[in-house]
Amino acid sequence: MSAAHAAEAEPYQPVFVGKTLDRLNEIIARYPAKQGALLPALWLVQEARGWISDDAMAEVAAVLDTTAAHVKGVVTFYTMYHQHPVGKYFVQVCTTSCCNICGAEDVVKALLQETGAKELGATSPDGKWTVIEVECLGACGFPTPILVNDDFIENVTPDKVPDLVRKYR
Amino acid sequence: MGYPQKPHPKETVVLSEYFGDPEARTFKGWVKRGGYEALKKALAMDPNAVTDEVKNSGLRGRGGAGFPTGLKWTFMPKEKRGPHYLCVNADESEPGTFKDREIMRWTPHALLEGTAIAAHAIRAEVAYIYIRGEFTEPWTVMTQALAEANAAKVFGNITIHLHRGAGAYICGEETALMNSIEGKRGNPRIKPPFPAVAGVFGKPTTINNVETLAAVPHIIKRGSAWYKGLCLSSPKSTGTKLFSVCGHIQKPGNVEVTMGFPLKDVIYEMCGGMRPGRTLKACIPGGSSVPILTKDETEKCLLDYEGVAEAGSLLGSGGVIVFDDSADMVYQIMRLARFYAHESCAQCTQCREGTAWTTKIMERILAGKGQMKDLDLLLDLSENMTGKTICVLSDSCATPVISGIKKFRSEFEDYITGKKRPVMVA
Amino acid sequence: MADGLINLTIDDVAVSVPKGTLLIEAAKQAGVLVPHYCYHPGLPVAGVCRMCLVEVEKAPKLQIACATQVAEGMVVRTRSGQAKSGRTGVLELLLINHPLDCPICDQAGECELQDFTFQEGRPSTRYSPTYPKRFNPVEDFGPDVLYVPNRCILCTRCVRFMEDVAKEPVLNVSERGDRAFVGIHPDAQLDHPWSGNVVDLCPVGSLLSKDFLHKARAWELDKTASVCTGCSQGCNVTLDLRDDTVVRIRPRANLEVNQYFICDHGRGHYRWMNRGDRVEAPLVREGADLRAVDWDEALDRVRTLLKGAGGSAVALVSPKASTEGLYFARKVLARFNWTGAFQVVMGEEAPLAGVPNLALRAERAPNGKGAELLGYTRDYAAALKAAEKAAVVLVIDDPEAQIKTSGQVIYLGTAAPAFLNAAIVLPMALMVEEDGTYVNRDGRVQRYFQARGTPAMARPAWWILGQLTDAAPESASAAFDAMAAEVGAFRGMSYATLGLLGQRSGAGAGVPA
Repeated sequence: MSAAHAAEAEPYQPVFVGKTLDRLNEIIARYPAKQGALLPALWLVQEARGWISDDAMAEVAAVLDTTAAHVKGVVTFYTMYHQHPVGKYFVQVCTTSCCNICGAEDVVKALLQETGAKELGATSPDGKWTVIEVECLGACGFPTPILVNDDFIENVTPDKVPDLVRKYR
Repeated sequence: MGYPQKPHPKETVVLSEYFGDPEARTFKGWVKRGGYEALKKALAMDPNAVTDEVKNSGLRGRGGAGFPTGLKWTFMPKEKRGPHYLCVNADESEPGTFKDREIMRWTPHALLEGTAIAAHAIRAEVAYIYIRGEFTEPWTVMTQALAEANAAKVFGNITIHLHRGAGAYICGEETALMNSIEGKRGNPRIKPPFPAVAGVFGKPTTINNVETLAAVPHIIKRGSAWYKGLCLSSPKSTGTKLFSVCGHIQKPGNVEVTMGFPLKDVIYEMCGGMRPGRTLKACIPGGSSVPILTKDETEKCLLDYEGVAEAGSLLGSGGVIVFDDSADMVYQIMRLARFYAHESCAQCTQCREGTAWTTKIMERILAGKGQMKDLDLLLDLSENMTGKTICVLSDSCATPVISGIKKFRSEFEDYITGKKRPVMVA
Repeated sequence: MADGLINLTIDDVAVSVPKGTLLIEAAKQAGVLVPHYCYHPGLPVAGVCRMCLVEVEKAPKLQIACATQVAEGMVVRTRSGQAKSGRTGVLELLLINHPLDCPICDQAGECELQDFTFQEGRPSTRYSPTYPKRFNPVEDFGPDVLYVPNRCILCTRCVRFMEDVAKEPVLNVSERGDRAFVGIHPDAQLDHPWSGNVVDLCPVGSLLSKDFLHKARAWELDKTASVCTGCSQGCNVTLDLRDDTVVRIRPRANLEVNQYFICDHGRGHYRWMNRGDRVEAPLVREGADLRAVDWDEALDRVRTLLKGAGGSAVALVSPKASTEGLYFARKVLARFNWTGAFQVVMGEEAPLAGVPNLALRAERAPNGKGAELLGYTRDYAAALKAAEKAAVVLVIDDPEAQIKTSGQVIYLGTAAPAFLNAAIVLPMALMVEEDGTYVNRDGRVQRYFQARGTPAMARPAWWILGQLTDAAPESASAAFDAMAAEVGAFRGMSYATLGLLGQRSGAGAGVPA
């Protein structure tokens, strides 16, 4: 990063201060090696910031005595960590076989239409919605399950989508 | 039958007794239902005696491999030279399987109790319960239950921690799960060393599935003889098992039956059978990684490790995916291949490249651009992806392709010859 | 079973190896190279490329030779139909996303993917030409390393080297499935002083040296075993020359010294070998000028000069000079009251954390120890002082030396000296132009080999100085033998016993100096 660029950018505000740092320290104590707290630490970052930036990865690396490269390798392995900012409501729709045969792809279409997100992975113009397909949410008996942020919603059908979206909007 | 259905009279309700009962989630409610008595009893026993009891019960791992649980526990070092760990595999993500989720949602204390008993048996001080990242509700329920149980100090010297995954199917593989707990990419490890020698954080470790551990308190409480007596067919498969039934079925959900129960009764009686006007075409009996059964094979299949093997598939995790005659087997097999391609950890060549290539060939067939020789290519590729990698994800991708082409070849050919219109754009 | 050795059969060849040996290493003893990518003897086992599949009798499926330990009575077949088809399958899969851009790839000709595909790959791919291949742009990883992700086969050797050997894990595997690539954190650089090794370790042309980029095709290179001149560690190297120009230095395995690695300083320390301002003929002083003469005349002039001189003599030598040359220099000056010294350039020390006793040493003197064993000292200043009153000053390849002396200066050098007061200038071979030995800081005597001819009339120092003695050796080997017969530190050694890997000083002899 050039010096000029650095001067323009907002300085990075660390996540792990105050209560968040206390929480992390409590988590670190659960593992015989500090690095064990990496996944939980990344969850804390995402909870605080909505996504995990390169700067945040560097911070996590420093706090847990590992390297930013290792943290990045981990972040890119697990699909639930966001490497970019996402909509206020992040919707994950299961479209793997069992839900697929029960109409999951129609639920995806309805969600895209209702939220205004143009395509999978894109955020709606109002910045509120990002819809993605995910592989098996582990609720195959309740097709189609979706996750809106941390809300797990079962038995979603296309006709239920408008109400569901309205509730969040 | 678990939530949201009422139990069916033919079920043997052990693990699912309190599914749908919110009070059972609380510590008080669980104690009122006889909870934590088994733990108390086990903690007063010699760890070896606990292991023997489980060994005698015939309990086998419910995660998919079906390895005898008590025997697994005996692999831990006889002489304790440092910390031992127990890892609980609550990373349920095999398509078609949703039993562990229900156990955690409704009977979190059953899992905690089983976890503590197992930890005692293998002389582990610490147990990590690795819960799938997507399981937000089970996570909340388990967190609450653990706090209550800790407050009541029921675990003796055993400490239980919850560890949240973050979206990786492969972390359900035991060595990948251990890497994930260590804060690494969820890459499966080459064996040896086996976990009982060098597991999580390099220390002796046992990994058990949620359903396995949830059965343990019942075995301790009621005795191994009782559990062993729950057997309808092969004496090598004992106890009850939850089967998650989904797909083209009237009443999807979890059913709990004694080992050896006929699959056709589960489908036609307990789960309400096919939708009106539809007939059964195929069934995947043990989660998406096992061979597909035809209608005939399904109707003859008995649900235990030996019975399903005899029918030509595997009991696996007990995820029963039902396809009726409206199902497009080619499209669904493509979806499964895509799933495995998405989840491949990228270590082994056959898996990294093979799962993606399989998906591409399947997609091309669905786009009407396939050739007859693609079927041989798929079979050869699948053979190349079988039995050659660190873990079995690659095999799991190959299995439905092989059984699909073998048993539903005409559906593939219809796309290739143009008899069926393309459903994808390639 | 003899002495805890394990007996097994590999491709019908019986071998006995220590317990714990991996099949892939045991196979080497049977003369079998099992094709592999992720395995490297200097790195922890990963077992991920799955290339080294072999058939082990009684095993239910093919085993990877890199992660399977030998067992008594094991019967291994590396060339059975099953094993071969397993490996052919891996090759086909590795190639589906690998571009066939060998004509513009630096690795071509020394590419393990090319080699093994040629050996046991399919004649053509079954991957449809209509499928796009995976594409990611070239990444600049650091001062000398480029990453071409399209060619990467994810063997992870580079990642493991940085993590487990360099202990500076700046590389990772990013993403998963067929989207995976080797990543680096955006704020990080692959600038560890030993990071160039990832280029050698890469079995394909995915990690490239910027320094070597498009300089030569592998088949145009002449390779010569040598010793690194970058410092006193004495890493074993291979010199790659194209048309007599050194274009690349790569590590040559020596488990006692550098394992499989060299540092970036040593890797780049070759330009001096290609310098163009060489002295090409013996020069003798005629008044203010130096006149070119033939060797007979030049050597006669030296003999006359030495015969006429008396009192003290001083030798100022380069620590890059061969042990043999330094030995004959001392022999030539033996009848004087002589002092010899060398000057050591100092730099930063840079250890390779994962290998004991391996570092870029602060002392940038490949043969300082050899000079010391022969009686030269590091007290260069004292030698310069002594030179003022010496009758004869012999300088060996130290062109920067600022010598004030009332005596006569004999200069052996590769380039013209900066000072012009030498009575005689004798053109000397560079180390790449001669056979010779260096002694590393631990006293290990190691040979380097002649990689090209000398320019014009230049000769090795041992030949030039040897001609001034009765020994007058005709080869470097004979020069070494003369030294070994006289100097205790080298007793019992010869070029034959030193071989390609060298010997610790004193190890061959048991005879005190």
